[in-house]
Amino acid sequence: MLEMRKLMIGGLMTAALMSGMQVAQAQNTINIGAIVPSSGPFAEWGRANTVTLKMLEKQVNDAGGINGAKLNIVILDDAAKPAQAANNMRKLAGDDKVLAVAGPLTSSACEVTFPVANEMKTVSTSQASSKPGVAKANRPWAFRNTIDEGILAKTSVPYFKKTFSAQSVAIIYDAKDAVSTSIATKIMPQVFTNAGIKVLNADSPISFNTGDLDVSAQITKLKGMNPDGIVIGADYSQAITVLREMKRQGLNKPVIGGTPLISPAILKAAPEIPVVAPATFYATMDTPKAKKFVADVQPLMRATSGLPKDIEPSMYDANIYETVSMYIDAVKKTGVTGKADGLEADRTKIRDYMANLKGYDGFSGPIHFGEDGDAIKNFFIVQGQNGAWQTKVTGCSAAAGGAC
Amino acid sequence: MSTYYAGLFADIGILFLGAMSVYIILATGQLSLGNAGFMGIGAYLASYLTVEWHWPLTAALIVAALAAALIGVIVGFPALRLKGIYLAIATLGFGEMVRSFLLNFDRMGGSGGFHGMKHVSLETIWLWAGGIFVLIVLLERSRLWLEMRAVHDDEIAANLVGLNTTATKVGAFGFGAAVAAVSGGLFAHHYVYIEPANFGFERSIDFVLAVILGGSTVGPGALIGAGLLVLLPEWLRVLADWRLAAFGVLLVLVLLTRRQGILDKPLLNRLTFRGMRA
Amino acid sequence: MLLQQLVNGLTLGAVYTLVALSFSLVMGILSVLNIAIGELFMLGGYLGFAVIARELPLPLAMAVAMIGACAVSVVIQKIAYEPLRDAPLITPMLSTLGFSIILQNIVTNVWGSDPLQLPSEMFDADFMVGPVRIGVMQIVVIGVTVALVGAVAYLVQRTPAGRALRAIAENRDVARLLGVSVSKTTFLAFAISGLLAGAAGVLISLHYAAITPYIGVDIGLKAIAVMVIGGATRVWGALLAGPLIGIAEVLTIAYGGSQIRDLVVYGLMILILLLRPQGLLGGARSDVGQRV
Repeated sequence: MLEMRKLMIGGLMTAALMSGMQVAQAQNTINIGAIVPSSGPFAEWGRANTVTLKMLEKQVNDAGGINGAKLNIVILDDAAKPAQAANNMRKLAGDDKVLAVAGPLTSSACEVTFPVANEMKTVSTSQASSKPGVAKANRPWAFRNTIDEGILAKTSVPYFKKTFSAQSVAIIYDAKDAVSTSIATKIMPQVFTNAGIKVLNADSPISFNTGDLDVSAQITKLKGMNPDGIVIGADYSQAITVLREMKRQGLNKPVIGGTPLISPAILKAAPEIPVVAPATFYATMDTPKAKKFVADVQPLMRATSGLPKDIEPSMYDANIYETVSMYIDAVKKTGVTGKADGLEADRTKIRDYMANLKGYDGFSGPIHFGEDGDAIKNFFIVQGQNGAWQTKVTGCSAAAGGAC
Repeated sequence: MSTYYAGLFADIGILFLGAMSVYIILATGQLSLGNAGFMGIGAYLASYLTVEWHWPLTAALIVAALAAALIGVIVGFPALRLKGIYLAIATLGFGEMVRSFLLNFDRMGGSGGFHGMKHVSLETIWLWAGGIFVLIVLLERSRLWLEMRAVHDDEIAANLVGLNTTATKVGAFGFGAAVAAVSGGLFAHHYVYIEPANFGFERSIDFVLAVILGGSTVGPGALIGAGLLVLLPEWLRVLADWRLAAFGVLLVLVLLTRRQGILDKPLLNRLTFRGMRA
Repeated sequence: MLLQQLVNGLTLGAVYTLVALSFSLVMGILSVLNIAIGELFMLGGYLGFAVIARELPLPLAMAVAMIGACAVSVVIQKIAYEPLRDAPLITPMLSTLGFSIILQNIVTNVWGSDPLQLPSEMFDADFMVGPVRIGVMQIVVIGVTVALVGAVAYLVQRTPAGRALRAIAENRDVARLLGVSVSKTTFLAFAISGLLAGAAGVLISLHYAAITPYIGVDIGLKAIAVMVIGGATRVWGALLAGPLIGIAEVLTIAYGGSQIRDLVVYGLMILILLLRPQGLLGGARSDVGQRV
């Protein structure tokens, strides 16, 4: 009986696959959606994401499309506003009939967009959100091609301890930002304490607010504690202000933080202060796949108006590139038709593909997704100093440890 | 209606409520730049009641509105000492203090936000918006409204003829705060997630903008304004990177060409039966 | 430590003073809250950066930033304020809000949203006074602020143009009857306001050495608080209230309350508004609060 069922399912699947391929050939477009912040405070990230996706679209179509069908990526700007991101999701899934969505970028946007993804039964995969538990709260349609900060800290902290022989650290963070707050007040104090390092201000971490220009009082206070290292919970743009002030006040102590620190801009802030942070991609990474990606996309970004002339692709460009490539792979492998009447089935196929993904070949190595919807992939603990990132440790975000 | 427009109409309904909260206070000549604070109080309180105590949404919204009204009255009394733009600045300070408080309110997540609300339907949002709008229309036909306008036009004269200007002004603050709280409660249950950044200065300004753009002398103005503020940024998408700048340009242009707002009494009369009969 | 924190507080206070004074020139004289001042400040910072990045001297950067911000301020006056002069006060306030949105987005599109950083350590020089480290830029910021406040005070209190400004602030209709040109004086108020915002922007961006298109928003809100505390109608009020708030912020942080910093600042503002609505240095209560 069981055998019969297996056989039947197998047969059905083959039939679906074949008919899917035929239809896809007759049909002409595979629609994928993307939500990126092309205006507002993260405009550069959103615009770089846009260039990356346009390039991917062209690459795929120049190579003959997906199973003969043309790839069409519908990119919408959310201005880094959560409400707009949620409405973008409704538009993409409801009006534009996309098969799956890449984005949104910020955790605040994910918090309100992922519930819509579940309501609309369409996969949504964030390229940047790393606030703990956001995808987990919105299963089964929410994914994040990023790693929970709590897992990353378990590797970055021991490296920090060993390299700088740190006995004590002090914390400063951006209290307005959720990711920064959870890194600085929840994750780091615990991991540091477990590693036997004294957190000098665990009871009263020093905070500032997004948009603050002056953090001089905070740095003077930190300096008074005389720590061996500084934990910065902030995105790179705010961290630059902190690093500048540290340098000005002569607090040249090594810095550790989460993935939001990774950016070429932060390397210019205080080149003599070492910055340790986790990353899954950085532009000067030394692997063939990453090198090709950078060689392809960087000139396009630099030629785009509204982007700086010295821009480099960021981790989030790499993540969104991987995400859409996964969707394309799903379309190819699971018999997605792209036909209007099979939309719900197609979306489910993509979700199942994502959930059951094994060893997808990403920039940092094989990728799959955990039960909580977050990516399980290799990451690097990188150290930025004198203007460049260097990989110091490689790890995998699987809960059990070991290789990915 | 597509789900996309359903989402936008939910936003319009929520903003319409927020705009009405400013409209009521403005009717007595007081400008509040802190109504996002009342909205935040309503959002957090209503969410707490539905998530932690499993109250039905309607009951939670009513309690949140009453609590915000009480705070509105408490804020309204000292506000009596202030006039014009100084009152506006004081309310701005109040709004920033509420936001800053929520950021430190770890019991409900602090900057990490608060989850667990059940999604509310578009109909519920508009039932509330419509209900409160009808209430305002009824109010506008009452003697009380004449008193409010009298306080708006000339407070000293209103006082001289024996009107209780204190009760009128403080009452308007209380009513406005309650409406803002309903807006907040519905916002929380539409997006099923709230964080302090949702209730900052930008939101307060949006409320005022909706009223002034739509027309601050007539109730339906708030609806027109709310619709524009939500739909314009969507309709301007073709301009790509310049869409928000273009929004700013349009905002200035509308204010320059219709300083009384898009909708005013003459236009409203022409659009309704009153105009046709005349 | 405390002395070092006071130096920090004074520098921050100087920033607030300049921006607050920029607000109060328009607000104290015309009773209009020009929301775009935060963005004029930001624009000044970017213009100053553009000059410094070409390795041109600081005074030239100051001049370019001040003139640039002044020019935009005058454009705002002509387009957003002048046609709406007789409208309720909210309307011109919102049209300046329109300009602040426009400016943020233009700067984002021209210079990008990433923080713009000075390439070298040209302004990082400092010296020690006992245990206290003082940056050369901190001295420049405080010095230029005092000089500019002095210059504005002289202009307002001792010159015919200043008399016109004060007359308009007192009563516009009477001033007009006495032969004061309202449009010329309004122009002057906006122009000086722009010059100050531009100067503040360039000083601050060079001191902190990293700016984004959105730095004007929070500084602007704080500066409004400083203006109110000092008294919007008095030039010297800002010079008193700026350092007061700067030091209050710094001490809140120093004694473990960094999370409640904004509560303290805005709480202080509301307290002052209730106890002395005319501000610490304000004159009679009668000049406070036109109808909206």
